Amino acid sequence: MASSLPEGGASSPGVRVRGVGMTPFGSPADRSLPELCEQAAERALADASIDPGTVTSLHVGTMAAGPFNGCFGLANALAGSLGLNEPETRRIENTSATGASTLLDAINTSRANSSGTALVVCGEKMSEADTAASTELISRVAHPREYRHGVTLPALAGLVADRYLREYGGTRRDLARVAVKNHANALSNRYAHFRKEIEVSDVVESPPVAEPLRLYDCCPRSDGAAAVVLSEGDDDVQILACESAGGTHAVGDRTNPLWIDGVHAAGKAAYEAAGLAPKAIDIACLHDAFTILEWLELEALGFAERGGGWRLTRDGTTTVDGAFPVNPGGGLKARGHPLGATGLSQVIELVWQFRGDVPSERAVDGRYGLALSMAGFGNNAVCTIVGANQ
Amino acid sequence: MTKYHECSDCGRGTFYDKRRCGDCGNDAFRAREAGVGTVRATTTVHVTPDGVDEPLMLGLAVFGDARVIAQLDDDLSVGDSVRLEGEVTLRERGDEQFDGSRLVTVD
Repeated sequence: MASSLPEGGASSPGVRVRGVGMTPFGSPADRSLPELCEQAAERALADASIDPGTVTSLHVGTMAAGPFNGCFGLANALAGSLGLNEPETRRIENTSATGASTLLDAINTSRANSSGTALVVCGEKMSEADTAASTELISRVAHPREYRHGVTLPALAGLVADRYLREYGGTRRDLARVAVKNHANALSNRYAHFRKEIEVSDVVESPPVAEPLRLYDCCPRSDGAAAVVLSEGDDDVQILACESAGGTHAVGDRTNPLWIDGVHAAGKAAYEAAGLAPKAIDIACLHDAFTILEWLELEALGFAERGGGWRLTRDGTTTVDGAFPVNPGGGLKARGHPLGATGLSQVIELVWQFRGDVPSERAVDGRYGLALSMAGFGNNAVCTIVGANQ
Repeated sequence: MTKYHECSDCGRGTFYDKRRCGDCGNDAFRAREAGVGTVRATTTVHVTPDGVDEPLMLGLAVFGDARVIAQLDDDLSVGDSVRLEGEVTLRERGDEQFDGSRLVTVD
């Protein structure tokens, strides 16, 4: 089947997604990190119906396999274990956008060698570190000045949420509705960390984490792995764009802390590469590590006007049966957030959607999907646009 | 740390050490006293990293066009006038000690 270019014309050809696979996300996993990665990889290879020996490049993503699991050289271990035949092999790290950056690395390799087969495997096993240790480790992604003051990612989210609720029209209960929606979406996702319906009252009465944010505004720490096979083939889903952009490092240094310039830049580059405008996108998987981020990303990506992201939650636009579904797989909030695997799991959700491989409860009609993965608190973002041929 | 860096070319202020101005790319800065600023957002953090007491009160304050996130000295509210003052231990982790200024109320 020949690929059809999107309306408007893309600046570079799409890259075929030939197979995808995941482990369930959750905690604690009963397998080691290498075992989780092997399971996801074998599922993707089986889904692609290809012989592992034909893989020409292996791209492995993990943020903290060293500190969390004492695991170094994971990419080379997987190349040996999975029966690959001397592939080009490396590991990629880009904090919480690691999965998306690893996919980007594989796409670049695929574009340079269109007859190759790239295997992308990303995973994290966070349950082996205790909460205080992993909070400390993850807080190292902040600017050193922020680190000195004990600033963590939840603290940044709390400050930004406080500012947002004061400056724009959304309320604390609207913010809770983001979590309620994403939990509801994950009910039919057998890979999700949480498959539990919650209500607004559950969110606003949960323990405070960084006020005004509470426990149910925050994604969990998860274990899990995801894998994708990229190669030429007769598959019906392709990646039209995958673009990365750095942004202002320290949140305190941003002219407007409610505007994430890295997300805006990555989105703009992806729209240009795909030849699409935001209004052409039918479905989005956003980086809702904290509920407030879903609104900030809707705005930075042009799906809502500045200060208007909350309206799409309040009026139901972003529910699965709304005009523009966001996070149909449950998002980071309910599918879970095994740091290295998350960016890839967003793209896999879009692939499943366009292949018709999701239960009817969360199936969305559409042709173009967008995934936004964020590093740190937006000092880097990767935006991927996936297209179904119709 | 009561001073910020002002770009000697475009004048943009920043509290965050960097090699070049984020706005114009110039590599020379002047040290400026922050003076009096305004609190724009606050949070009370209940899950803190190693070496930081819980609860931790943080604020985002603006001084001219320079912004900073810092610990709050007392129970400040959005809109309050503040100063960066003192040299206190912000965080203590094993052998590492981090000292700096907190945001305090201007009487």
